[in-house]
Amino acid sequence: MADAWTIARKDLVLELRSRERIVAMLTFTVLVAVIFSFSLGPAVRAQDVAPAMIWVTIIFAGMLGLGRSFSLEKEEDALAGLLLAPVSREAVFVGKLAANFILLIVVVAAVFFAFALFFPISFRGAWVAGGAVVVLACIGFMTLGTFFSAITAHTRLGDTLLPVLLLPLLIPVVIFAAGATERLMAGRPASEIQGPLQMLLAFDLVFLFVCTLLFAFVVEE
Amino acid sequence: MVSEAAVEAVRLEKWFGPIPALRDVSFSLERGTFLTIFGPNGAGKSTLLRVLSAATRPSGGEGRILGHPVGTGGGAWRERLGVLSHRTFLYGDLTARENLTLYGRLYRVSDLADRVEAGLEEFGLARRGDDRVGGFSHGMRQRLALARTLLHDPEVVFLDEPYTGLDPHAARVLRRTLERLRDGKRTVLLVTHNLAEGLELADRTVIQVGGRWVHDAPRDRTSAAAFADVYTDRVAEALA
Repeated sequence: MADAWTIARKDLVLELRSRERIVAMLTFTVLVAVIFSFSLGPAVRAQDVAPAMIWVTIIFAGMLGLGRSFSLEKEEDALAGLLLAPVSREAVFVGKLAANFILLIVVVAAVFFAFALFFPISFRGAWVAGGAVVVLACIGFMTLGTFFSAITAHTRLGDTLLPVLLLPLLIPVVIFAAGATERLMAGRPASEIQGPLQMLLAFDLVFLFVCTLLFAFVVEE
Repeated sequence: MVSEAAVEAVRLEKWFGPIPALRDVSFSLERGTFLTIFGPNGAGKSTLLRVLSAATRPSGGEGRILGHPVGTGGGAWRERLGVLSHRTFLYGDLTARENLTLYGRLYRVSDLADRVEAGLEEFGLARRGDDRVGGFSHGMRQRLALARTLLHDPEVVFLDEPYTGLDPHAARVLRRTLERLRDGKRTVLLVTHNLAEGLELADRTVIQVGGRWVHDAPRDRTSAAAFADVYTDRVAEALA
């Protein structure tokens, strides 16, 4: 875990220095919230559509930053330097995933803040349950995202290929995350989202296991 | 049984589609030996280092470092290997000190702060330690890459064209470092197409052409001028 944290910290320091990803993701988030606020007609209840809009915004904002996750390792072939070090490939993957996850959590906070400015939305006190939905959905998203970012970084199509590969696999995560968010924002009891939370947890475990296992085959020739 | 050789290759092959980069390369390198591999561009010299450091899988055969089979994954044998590649493996948005500290942590270097300072000092980068590497010249990056390669005091060192881009002063610093590495305990595998630089410290010389070793002899049997003739003849024969 120490190696994974060393790699994650390195990625976060690089992002703090360049701010390439976070600025693009936050700008996108604010723009989407503004566009939605003007495009929804008066007949549409914001509470009905906000959960879906929030998760679509999180997914696309997150994908904006994912491509850079491994492309920064291509400059001076730094990924080869990591792989030549006595560090397990699992640690490299978990390190990259952790950095991406932390960045995404910042973006998620910005998404909820931006939407709350324009729409009357709230978890209505169910902050722990809401937080659990966000954390589990983001782990699943970033696990798949980090894995496919490693694949597409080695292709000519790069960022163009990433959403094509990633979006179909994210559909179940979005369905359960948006469904759970909708119920919480509608004031339903937290016990009602136990099913979606269990499904998100199951997806996370499967994604983490498979992606961590296959990562070595992706990054090693 | 653990082999005594520092580096071994057994019938190594590497093909990129129909193009051979390594063909039936077998050798054993005793600990403490300084081996220089010469060859023209595209001879497969860098590929040999990549295969032996498990940066790429061989198409056939096996490599061993300090008796351990070279496989993929982050095996502990990697702690004993230092690799300088064509690329520096450095991050442009980190400072020189941060780059060395990062790799030092991954290689579990003890007394890391002292080792980082010593590395920066040795390669003349102490004053630029807090500057981002993105602003460094090519020669400075190459010196920092050397400091990174040697930071964990590896027993086996692979150097791929280390003189590339170095100014005369930096080249002298590198030569001094290579002399220090020739302490009888460390094994160095140097790849170059520069005969003068490569011959200077070599105990054993190899010429590789088209993925094959066409010459392999101890250095003391060959004078510099004679070696230049041998090199020309061997390359011409192999390419004929």
